[in-house]
Amino acid sequence: MNPLMMLGNNNMMMKAMGAMMRGEKPGDFLKNLANSNPQLQGLNFDDLEGTAKTLCDRNNVNMNELADKIRDFAKSNT
Amino acid sequence: MGDTSFSGGWIFAFLIIAVIFGWGGAGMGGNANVAAYATMADVNAAINNQSTQQALGAIQLSSANNNYETARLISDQNMNMMQQNNTNLINAIQGFNTTNQSIANGFASVNQNIANLGYKMEECCCGIKTMLLENRLQDTQIALQQSQTANIVDAQSRYLLSQLGTFVPTAAAV
Repeated sequence: MNPLMMLGNNNMMMKAMGAMMRGEKPGDFLKNLANSNPQLQGLNFDDLEGTAKTLCDRNNVNMNELADKIRDFAKSNT
Repeated sequence: MGDTSFSGGWIFAFLIIAVIFGWGGAGMGGNANVAAYATMADVNAAINNQSTQQALGAIQLSSANNNYETARLISDQNMNMMQQNNTNLINAIQGFNTTNQSIANGFASVNQNIANLGYKMEECCCGIKTMLLENRLQDTQIALQQSQTANIVDAQSRYLLSQLGTFVPTAAAV
């Protein structure tokens, strides 16, 4: 499957990929993203790891497993 | 593709985005289980929305109660005003009746006084007439008495003169 099409299914992931490739800081990217996305508002972007853990725990998601899948996805598309 | 080591915390940024917005979805195969989860912000927003709806319901109920209370107060006020108006009208009518009664009593008294005055005037007039008639009668009686006296004196004079001599009808008075 074309990874670009897969990324195209998720505009946010595509935006994050672009920001990462441009060398932006993830905290700044999320803060800017929160301005137009209420779902992100109220989160602590100064502690990304803690926030990610909290969100994963709150939604019953295995953070390591999800991180591995994200890494595999990135590797398979480089 | 560029940096895939997710240095600088980008892996956590992707984790956050994946958890909140979902990643791939149904077309992503192995990642279909990573759907969009409800974040705390979503839950808070839902709770806030529920609180807002409850507050709106309370406001609507309060507004309805206020409207009902206002309408009831206005109705009571109108009723009080109508009752007061009726009382005022009744008092006014009673006042007019009292005034009319007083006026009628006054006219009755005036009429009675006028009647009394007429009676007294008639009585006075009758008295005057009687007095005038009495005076006239008395004058007539006096005149009659004087005439009789004169006649007697005349008769005596005639008799005395006849005893003395010839009666002279044209003799000069002494």
